[in-house]
Parts: sequence; structure tokens; C-alpha cells
Amino acid sequence: MADLVAPGRSDAQRGIKLRGPRVEYLAFKLGSDTYGVPIGEVREILKLPPVTEVPRAPGEILGVVSVRGLLVTVMSLRARLRLVSSESSRKGRILLVMGAHEEVIGLYVDEVLQVYRLAESEIEVAASVLGGRLGDYIVGIGRPEGALLTLLDLRPILGRTDPAGRDAT
Amino acid sequence: MRRILVVEDSAATRSFVRSALEDGGDLGPFDIVEATSGFDALRLLPRGPYDLVITDINMPDINGLELVQFIRKSDRHRSTALIIISTQSSEKDRARGLSLGADDYLAKPLDPEALLSTVQRLLTNRPAAG
Amino acid sequence: MADMGDKAREEFFSEAHEIIEGLSRDLLQLDSSRGKGPVDPELVNNIFRAVHTLKGLAGLFGAARMSALSHELENVLDDLRLGKIELSQAALDLLFRGVTIYGRILAVEKGTRSDPLSDIDEFLRELADLSESQSDDAPISGAFYELDPGLLAVLTEYEEHRLRTNIEQGQSLFRLRVRFELATIDAALSTLKTKAKPHGEIITYLPTGEGAEADSIELDILMASKASLDVLRSLLGGEQAQIEEVPRRSPSAKDPVLVPSRLGSHGPSHDPLPYASAHPASAPPRPKAVAQRPGALPKTASTAAMAAEVSLRSVTQTVRVDIRKLDLLMNIVGELSIVRNAIGRLTESVRKSPELREIGMELYRLHRGFERQLADLQSGILEVRMVPLGQLFDKLARVVRQISREADKDVNLVITGAETEVDKLIVEELSDPLMHMIRNAIDHAIEARIERERVGKPAVGTIALNAFQKASHVVIEVEDDGKGIDESKLVSAAVKRGLLAQEEVTELVHREVLNLVFIPGLSTKSDVGELSGRGVGMDVVKTNIGKLGGIIDIYSERGIGTKFTVTLPITLAIISALIVQVEGRTFAVPLASVQEAIWLDPAALRRVEGQEMMTLRGATLPLCRINELFALSSVGKTKTRPYAVVVSVGARRLGLVVDELIGQQDIVIKPLGPSLKRVKGFAGATELGDQRVALVLDAPALIEEAFLGGGDAVVGASYG
Repeated sequence: MADLVAPGRSDAQRGIKLRGPRVEYLAFKLGSDTYGVPIGEVREILKLPPVTEVPRAPGEILGVVSVRGLLVTVMSLRARLRLVSSESSRKGRILLVMGAHEEVIGLYVDEVLQVYRLAESEIEVAASVLGGRLGDYIVGIGRPEGALLTLLDLRPILGRTDPAGRDAT
Repeated sequence: MRRILVVEDSAATRSFVRSALEDGGDLGPFDIVEATSGFDALRLLPRGPYDLVITDINMPDINGLELVQFIRKSDRHRSTALIIISTQSSEKDRARGLSLGADDYLAKPLDPEALLSTVQRLLTNRPAAG
Repeated sequence: MADMGDKAREEFFSEAHEIIEGLSRDLLQLDSSRGKGPVDPELVNNIFRAVHTLKGLAGLFGAARMSALSHELENVLDDLRLGKIELSQAALDLLFRGVTIYGRILAVEKGTRSDPLSDIDEFLRELADLSESQSDDAPISGAFYELDPGLLAVLTEYEEHRLRTNIEQGQSLFRLRVRFELATIDAALSTLKTKAKPHGEIITYLPTGEGAEADSIELDILMASKASLDVLRSLLGGEQAQIEEVPRRSPSAKDPVLVPSRLGSHGPSHDPLPYASAHPASAPPRPKAVAQRPGALPKTASTAAMAAEVSLRSVTQTVRVDIRKLDLLMNIVGELSIVRNAIGRLTESVRKSPELREIGMELYRLHRGFERQLADLQSGILEVRMVPLGQLFDKLARVVRQISREADKDVNLVITGAETEVDKLIVEELSDPLMHMIRNAIDHAIEARIERERVGKPAVGTIALNAFQKASHVVIEVEDDGKGIDESKLVSAAVKRGLLAQEEVTELVHREVLNLVFIPGLSTKSDVGELSGRGVGMDVVKTNIGKLGGIIDIYSERGIGTKFTVTLPITLAIISALIVQVEGRTFAVPLASVQEAIWLDPAALRRVEGQEMMTLRGATLPLCRINELFALSSVGKTKTRPYAVVVSVGARRLGLVVDELIGQQDIVIKPLGPSLKRVKGFAGATELGDQRVALVLDAPALIEEAFLGGGDAVVGASYG
């Protein structure tokens, strides 16, 4: 819990510091960096089931898996974001999220950390526009308890066109 | 306001249904349109759209089952909610009505509370038609 | 009495009074006509109806005694209608007394009279004694009428009673088709009833829902009469009305049981349907089909040949099911199949061990039983998913009307085999391709009126949609009598676009030329439309049909017409497949595409212009190495001799080279998601057990790829 309650501060003072609605982010590692996405986006977190590779699929597609009978395409988030690739880890997990065309997609991440509750004031919104292939997928930087999370907007990453982002609680 | 078409050849029963439904409860007051026969219903249907059609089964000439089939076959009214009213003992009529596409049934003697709650159940979570 | 508003109360009383007065009048009339000839059935029916309504009202408003009285009176009246009891003086007296008692009950309920009504129970007993109990399921002796189940399904019990009565009295049944303007329907109906009444009884009026115009309505009227068809025709027929007699068959020796006899496979040699408002087939020889103007007939007329004996004991019972529930059930069956396979493997292991011999045998027996029952469950569910193509054909008929109006051409759509059933998913996926083909036919293939007349064709063009079952496939033909495909133009267009080399042209067989129509890149709407009689998008049509596991063939003759034949598997979801392994990866090949699997003899292989091939029974077979095709990294195992799985589509064959054949298995194919839609060569994926997923190869697509990419060698070789 990232509730910053410093002893001795008055409510009012705390209120001022922790302004704005709280959003919960799931933090995970891609390589050595930590990223976060709103928890509401993540439908399920899976340990790695056997992944069947799909020949001729784009490079970032690792393959398909079966989740209780549902066929899910698994994509390496690292590869999707064009980050430097690294070894697969035992701690790798698949985040089930909603992709474009109402398709459930599995995002492979190297390690899942924890959920942080961030107040607006703990988030530095990205000033510059990244542009590029995936558009503005970085929402900003979150700094809960001294950690550093790069906060991602999944919509451009997955090619989704829904207007407001799914809200997290 | 949601519109309900009541098809029933007995005036007293029409009155009864109207008084049971008019206030409407959570969904607000209903606009209730009465048809006195199957033919009358056919005349009134084009003046829709209706959110719900309640029809008696046993009517002379065009009976309620034929009306249900007609409604379900028509492009315009295909997804209108449909309740059939049958006599207590005619299971066959009920079964036929449901298999032809009615959403629910009520048996006579009609219980005004059951009527209202069935209507509310069918119309909640449906956007108003008109 | 139940608590209800004052207004409702008032209405209850006033309506009840009105009905009772009418009852009274009718009874008087009945009394005076007694002994002067046969009892007027309509009168008795009216009285019955009145009592029936009173029963309903009484129930509604909680008047229990009135309810009970009505119930008993109804029974007596019913018996009277059916002729089970005579209209004796005694019976009439009872009926009159009943009316009086109604009056008394109402007065008591109203509060205008205090009356103990103690004699009611005694009276009810008298009524009960008079009427005999009667079972609903009395079998009908006598002739059986071929009444279509669609009509039977919408009769209320009451109307069934009346139908039964009439049949028992030896009446004939007739169906009238009449169109009324809604504005004047009351008067028109009244006239019809007056004209009809002396000659028989109208059982029911069914709105057909045809001709969706808001100001008129078409009714299908069922009538019983002792008069002949001609008499009725002269009395009731006219421009707006068509009358036909419901055909009758002599009873069979056995008890009547509902036996719908399905119309057999496709029949260009249909018996003329009862209502064929004869448009004699103005179609030229090749599209041979029976004239049936869309919308002229009840939709159930195509199943009119489905004979339904009017035993009235049971009518086709149907239940509407949400297709998602069926999908869910199919998934579960699929999961069970996986369990079954796993148990099978386990059973084999157990049986191999001598100590577990007995258990092994028991397990084996159980497994076999499970296998059988699962297969039954599976086919049962698959059957439920089947829907008749008629649904789709109706939609297409509307499309035809619309497009022909837009194109200003007269087109007749002729349909046969609408009752052919196919998996619901397939029907949904077929909708676009078929619509496409029909649109093309109307826009491009069928000539303008003037042109048609000039070449001696009837001004009205014909498109025929035929569907029929053939073994485990369904065949759908789309045929037109348009101008056909100009092969020479097609070929030169292909050459011009570089899709075909000039030298290859002479080698092309007629059939291959026609198949050029399916190649993407050959079409820009304007030129191809004129060249080939086909517009854009046939390649898409072909791909979509391929996705369903089907194939499409084309036949055309210049000046005469064109016919597309689509062959589809009947069901989509569960198929038999051959499981293979390549470099440690498992793939499934749908058995429907597999011709055979053979050991590859390295000595028999050779390369021709870069394409590997071998000779199979004297014919050349091109080969495709899966590990190379999919660039699969090697797992380094020492390989035994590889296999070639020979797949074929139409006349083309290809040998897929794999490392191992694992076995044959029923699998549930799941489609790959939109994220993978650009990946070619796979029909989907399937779960093999313990969460392992295998990709399912799309044989037609792989053959296509080899054909297009492989150049002459493949083309030449592939016709084995």
C-alpha cells in the first residue's frame, strides 16, 4: 500500500500532498526496467503454460496458448515496445488483457511485482510526445515509495480505439 | 416512456392489465395501447415501435400464437419483448407460444403483482424502443 | 372477489352482463331451431366461446363460483359440439338454468342481492353427469390431411378442437390466401365470413408476414367445408383470393403417428408445390430448377412436401436456443474429447503392464463405452446446431429484389433445397460470399433486357440457388443464365497483368482458365466486369469459403450462363485430423483434405526447376517440406525416414513432408484470433491435452501457395 502517512502530519497536510483520485497500477519488469499498467486492464495473470509458436507470425508474437479452452495469442511486450531483448526468466508471466477487436491477448512480461496505488500527484505526466510506431504509449512516470515505474497506456500498444482508458480502482 | 401494446378481446381484462401496469414502478409510467383483436393489433403494430406486446392466446380469428409468429417474423418487431397470456390449464398453448418466440407467459387468473414484475424484468436492461 | 380498481370492476360486470345476454339469445335460437334440421355448429361454438370467456373473466377477477360453473358448462358444450351428446330438451334445460345461475352469481358479487347459492353444487353435479369425460388424445380415424406443421404449430388448443371436430365429421380442408387492405379489413372480413358461413367453418386466420407493406395484410385462412373446391372458388375466389384444397391421404393400417417425411436430396424433379402460381421455368436448360417466385409462397411451402398426418397428437416441438449456449456445450464436448484421448493413452499403458491386466481390461471396456457415448453426445449437439439454409436463402431473395431494382434488370430467383441443413456458423459465414456472387451475377452476368431479347433469351433473367446434401458435404450451387465468361478475354487480362506467362496459355485447360477468376489482382471492377462477367472480390469469396473448409468450383459457357458450386463440410466444429510432428512441433491436418500418407523413399525424390517432387503410382507429386516452409528451427533429433502426407483439393495434390505420424484424432478447431489473421496456412488451432496446443494446417491454402509460387513445374505436376 502506497498510502503515505507520515506520522505527525495533519490530515489537511496529507490531503494536500496526496491530491487527486488514486489509480492502481500493476508493476512488472521487462528486462531490468519496471513498468506499470492500470490494474483494471489486467484480467488475469498466468504462469507460463506451454506456448505453441506460430510460424510466419510477426516477431513479437510468441505463439498461442490455451486458457481453459480459450485460444489466446501471446505477445512479448518487450518485443512489442522494441526494447532490448533478454533471456526468458522463470519468473515470466502472461498478463491477459483486452486487445483490439475484442480479442483477449496475452502479454508476456519477465516478472510481475506488485500493485501500487498512485495518487495523481505521484505521477509525472510525460511531457514530450514519443510518437513513433506505437504512438503515445507512455502515460508518465510513477514514483511510489521511491520506486520508479514507467506507466503505459495499453491502447496504442494493442491497437485499441476505445476512447477513455479503462478505469482502475 | 415505454410503450406496451395489450392485445386482448375482453374489455375487462384489458382494463385489468392497464390498471396493473400503468404506474410502472421503477421504469416509470408506461404508455399502454389497447388492441381489441388480432386484426386490431396488426393495425396498431405499424404505429410502433413498442417495447412490449402482451397478448392473450385465445382470441377468435387471429389467435395469440399467430400474432406471436407474425411479430417474430417481422423485421421491425422481431426483438420486441413478448408476453403471452394463457388459461391455467392449457400447457400446449403455452409451450407453443414460447417455442414461437414469446419471452414469457402468464396464466389466468392474472396476478397484478406477477404481471408487473414480469414486465419489469423483461424491460429492465433493454433500451427504450422509441 | 379480488381487489381491483373501481373502473376494472365496472368493466368486469358490464362485460359479463353483455356476454350472458348474448348467451341467452343464442340459447333461445338454439331452442327454436331444435328439431328443424342439423344443429348450427357456429351457434354452438358461439355459446361455447361465450362460456369460455366468462371462465377467463371469472378467473381473472377471482369469482370462484362463476369459474366452476363455466368449467362444467364448457364441458357440456364441448361434448355437444363434438356430437358426443345430443341436444336434447334436458340438455337445453340445463343450459338455460346455467344462464340463470350466472345472473344470480353476478348479482351476489355486485352486492345487489343476497343469495346463498346453495344449489349450485348440486347443479354442477348434474352438469358433470351429463357430459362424458373425453380424452384429448382420441385418435382420429378416417382420412389424414397433409397439413403443414407450420400451420399446426400456431393453432391454439381450442382451434385444434374445432379442426378435429370438422375432420371427424368428414369435412374437407381448404386453405385460402387473401390479401386485405388494413383500412377496410373489418368490412372485407365480415363479407368473407358471411359468404363462407353457409358452406363451412373457418378455423383460423394466420397472417403470413409476406409483402411487408404497412397498409395491407395477407392472410392464410384454414377452412373446413363439405363443398367442393370449385364451388368454393366461385363463391370466395377472386383476384385477391387463392384457394387450394389440403390434400388427403387414405389412412395407413397402423395408428396415426406424426411422421414427417423429409424431402429427399436435391430435386430438380420436384412435384409442383401446391401453390405454384405457375411461372413456368423460363430458365434455359442449364439452370434446372423449379419455378418458385420468392415471396409468393408461404415459407413453409418448401416443406409442404413434408407430409404431416393430422393426428394432432404431436406437432413439431421446437425450442429456441442461443447459439452461444451451443458453443459452450461444444466446448465442453471438446474438453471431454481431450479427456477421452488422455484416458485412452493411459488405458494403453495400463494394459501393457501384466500386473494390472484385469484393471486394464476393465478400463478398456469403460473407455470404449465412454468413447461411444461421447460420440453420440457430440453428434447430438452438432445436430442441434444445424439450421436450414432456407433462412439464408430468404435473406438472399430480398437482396435479389433490391439489387435487381437498382440494376434495372428483371431477375427471377429460383430456390431449391431450402430445407437442407448446415451448421449455424457456416450459414453465417456463407451469407457474405453468396450475396457477393449473386450481386455479381445481377450486376455483370445477367444482360440488360434489350440485350437478352436480342440473343433470344427471355427478358427475365434467372438465378438459381440449389442446395443439397452429398455424403458428408453440403453442395450449394449458384447459377445464372447470363452471358457466361469470356475465356479469351480473361486469359489476356491475366497475361497483361503478369499473372500468367504467354507460353503457359496454351497449356491451360478450360477449367484452369475459369479458375483465373479467383485470383486476386485480376480484378478492377470496370474491366473485369465486362471481361468475365464477374466483378471484384471472387478471390475473397474463395478465401472465405476455404476458411470454412469448403471449395468452390466454376463452370461457364459463353452466352448460356455460369454456375458456381460450393462444397462444404456439414459441420465445422469437430473434425477428424491426422496428427503429425515436424521438428518436434505438433500439427494437425484435417483428414478431409488427406488423400493418403506415405513413407518417403529418398531415392524416389527429384528436383525439377527447383521444385522437389516424386512419382506416386505413375503420377508426379510435388512436395512441400513443412520445416522449410515454416522455417522451423531444428531440434536436432536423428530422423527416421520422413513421411509425406498427400493432401488434395479438387484435382490438385501436394505432399507435405513431415517427420512423424502420431495418429488420427477428433479435434475441435478453434479459430486463431484477429491478431493472427494475416498469417497464412493455418485453419486454426486445437488443444491436444494438458494444455498443449497444435496448429491446424489449412491444406487448400498450402496447395494454393505451392501452385501460385511454384511456377510451371507445380502447375504441371499438380494434376496427378
